[in-house]
Amino acid sequence: MKENYIDNPAALKIDLMLRGLRIDDPLVRAWACGMDGVDIMLPRNTLVNIPCREEFTKGSPYVLRKKGGGYAITDGRGEVAAELVKRPAFYDRKTSTGVPFSRIATVHGSLTSIAPSSRCDFFNASVECKYCAGNLDVKGADKTIYSVEEVVETVEAVLEEGVGGLIYLSTGFSEGTDGGIVFLKPYLHAIKRKFRCLVAVETLPPRENRWIDETYALGADSVLYNLEIFDKELYEIICPGRAASIGRKRCMDALAYAARIFPNGTVASHLIVGLEPPGSTMQGIDYLTGIGAVPILPIYRPRPGKALRIDPLTTEIILPVYKHLYRAVTEKKISLTWVRDLSMVTTPAEIRALVDDAGTRPSIVESFYKSRLGRKTAWGLSSLRRKLRVKASEGGEEGE
Amino acid sequence: MSVEIDTRPIWVLLALRALKPLFYIVLAAVFLYLVAMPAPAGLSAAGQRAIAIFIVCLVLWVSNMVPLAITSLFAIVLVPALGVLSKKETYALFGNEAVFFILGAFILAGAIMHSGLSNRIALNIMDRFGRSPRTLLLSIFLLAAFLSFIMSEHAVAAMLFPIVFDISKGLGLKPGKSNYGKLLFFALAWGCVIGGVGTFLGGARVPLAIGILKESTGKSIEFLDYAVAVFPLVIVMLLAGYFLLTRFFPSEVADVSSAHAVLSRRLKGLTKMSYNEYAVGGVLGATIFAWIFFGKAAGLAAIALSAVVCLFALRLVRWKDIEEYVNWGIILMYGGAIILGTALDKSGAAEWIVNLLIGKWADKPWMIFAIFSLLSIFLTEAMSNAAVIAILLPVGIGMAERVSISPALLTYSIAVPAGLAFMFPMSTPANAIAVSSNYITVKDMAKGGFIMCVVAWVSFNLFAAFYWPLIGMGYGK
Repeated sequence: MKENYIDNPAALKIDLMLRGLRIDDPLVRAWACGMDGVDIMLPRNTLVNIPCREEFTKGSPYVLRKKGGGYAITDGRGEVAAELVKRPAFYDRKTSTGVPFSRIATVHGSLTSIAPSSRCDFFNASVECKYCAGNLDVKGADKTIYSVEEVVETVEAVLEEGVGGLIYLSTGFSEGTDGGIVFLKPYLHAIKRKFRCLVAVETLPPRENRWIDETYALGADSVLYNLEIFDKELYEIICPGRAASIGRKRCMDALAYAARIFPNGTVASHLIVGLEPPGSTMQGIDYLTGIGAVPILPIYRPRPGKALRIDPLTTEIILPVYKHLYRAVTEKKISLTWVRDLSMVTTPAEIRALVDDAGTRPSIVESFYKSRLGRKTAWGLSSLRRKLRVKASEGGEEGE
Repeated sequence: MSVEIDTRPIWVLLALRALKPLFYIVLAAVFLYLVAMPAPAGLSAAGQRAIAIFIVCLVLWVSNMVPLAITSLFAIVLVPALGVLSKKETYALFGNEAVFFILGAFILAGAIMHSGLSNRIALNIMDRFGRSPRTLLLSIFLLAAFLSFIMSEHAVAAMLFPIVFDISKGLGLKPGKSNYGKLLFFALAWGCVIGGVGTFLGGARVPLAIGILKESTGKSIEFLDYAVAVFPLVIVMLLAGYFLLTRFFPSEVADVSSAHAVLSRRLKGLTKMSYNEYAVGGVLGATIFAWIFFGKAAGLAAIALSAVVCLFALRLVRWKDIEEYVNWGIILMYGGAIILGTALDKSGAAEWIVNLLIGKWADKPWMIFAIFSLLSIFLTEAMSNAAVIAILLPVGIGMAERVSISPALLTYSIAVPAGLAFMFPMSTPANAIAVSSNYITVKDMAKGGFIMCVVAWVSFNLFAAFYWPLIGMGYGK
């Protein structure tokens, strides 16, 4: 071990995500690692999803141990308190049609990810993204589509329990110019009509800007069009389907247009760290922040059985990329209140402690938006903004 | 759903939203002030209130802050509430012939559209004249003007409306946005307005004016004399209208050949004319014939409503078929405007305005002519043209005696400009019908209409000063 990250939750989060965690307690391992990683709360409210099943985790220096009534993570040289995040109770319940809620929704910290269909036609055409980020667990030829009623029931269960209050709707690739928003439209419409919650939408970038207008008008409070890889050649090699059907330029144009339509800090794009040289990722960060989009940097973790075999980068190499991310978003004055408290990625707000000596605490505004009143305020402001900005034309109807 | 996102800063959007309540507060304050202030000398309390209502309605009609019909309903509420007219009298005015004429015209137009006849006529017009955007525009403009020489301009507008509407739809013009769409409906409205002053048959105002003249002085104006005097003005206004429209709204349609090909295909796809089309066409033809030859005796509204009864008696239409074509908003608006005009007239407010503006300082014949024509052309923008004549002509004839101007000439100075209503939908049904297409906004009409009014007034006065003496129509008695 070259560096000691145990005392810095932000750096530790990145290191844990890269190296994984060994769990001595067989009971905890059986409980936590039955899922896709284990969600653990580190000091300073730093939430992290740590791999614990994969082969590479066996060599991790980090071990989860019982300590008194709780848990601690140790690297052999030091230790830090760790709190196992309680499994949401709604995971054990089912919809009225008998589908387990856990199959429809997954809580990742402040957001709950819902994919009404896990189908992705890139797989069916054998042009899937080689890394298969798997952040949506998309796959090909899957005809399972959860109904609007099932999704609405799930959202109701999520909101009742008060976990992951930001609903994150996503879909895989399908033919069409809309990127997938037409498929998500009834779900989005139903959720916005029934609940006072913020909804983020992840689709493929639509080929025409009017779909971005419609996405906003339908009630999406945030939108993600994932570029994934900034390097042009690697993009075409690793994401052949995206490159052929949408193209890197269209993705960047769609993000730039969305950033003009959606409020500051609500348009985001994944750039996967580890699939391209760090310098290229930094260029991507500069480009995205330049157009007003928030780069979200998931860390590439090789998955068993996946075709792409790239050794993950080390924390020492990755940390400067994250520091660059924080400096870029602050320099461009991009709001950090939206992309926060995510277990699967390290957010710019969490990096603050690595860059800004005085900034170990979240700002008053960020703290406010984390509160219940803050969430309601965010919903109210978002709805008001939409009411003011959306104009229906020629037989259209005003959004929301 | 087609949506547009306004990307201006939120504070700008909020400020714009805040303007609306502020506008209402200021308007209410102005209204209350006008009602509460001491009545000026010579103006009755009822007249003062009528002017206050008139100002509020005019502002609302022009600003379009509420739908036009709702402003009219507001006038209908305020006129009896403030004691300008009695309730009974106010609501009875809504039964005005003009209101029922418009209702009949809408139903007739609905029947033509529903039967498919207007579609067939529109396709044929486009097929024949739609070779270029310019010729298509000119054909509508001139057709509307020519037909208005021989029948009421209101009826011409009602008859041509569905055809122009179908042409606009055929060209795929976007309501409210397409300049060419605006051009087509302006051509319809202004063609009717300009043509309507060409003869006695263009509307009821000239016969009404001659009736008042005859009652007061025993003199009259002959059909041919009128036509010879006014026809050059019609030519000038048609030229000015075409020039102004094409400069104000440059056509974005450079080529109608693609639409023409589609329309030709559609024409070929049409079946033989159905019984319904023949029958509706027959009823329409008979109605036009009756309007031309029996309009004066039987009344335009009675003829229109008789045609409607025929349509239903012959089972050519069902109520649910034509219900959607009846623009109740325009009917309400026109009814309210008539009530407001009458309120101004009967309360003495209109006369007070005339006296205030003209007073005793205007003593030269040309000056009196110019002032009355100016008042007439601008009052008719906000009032029924018949009401303008009813208000101005008695005052004018009285003044003619005082300044030695021919009462017949003064009748021209009021009757002709009273028909040249270019600015607002409430000015004349032709404008209202054109605005109801949604291709033209009130703002569009006010902007272009104001210039047309100025051109019309200047041209009219120049003709009176330099052309009329050549045909034996000097200012003097």
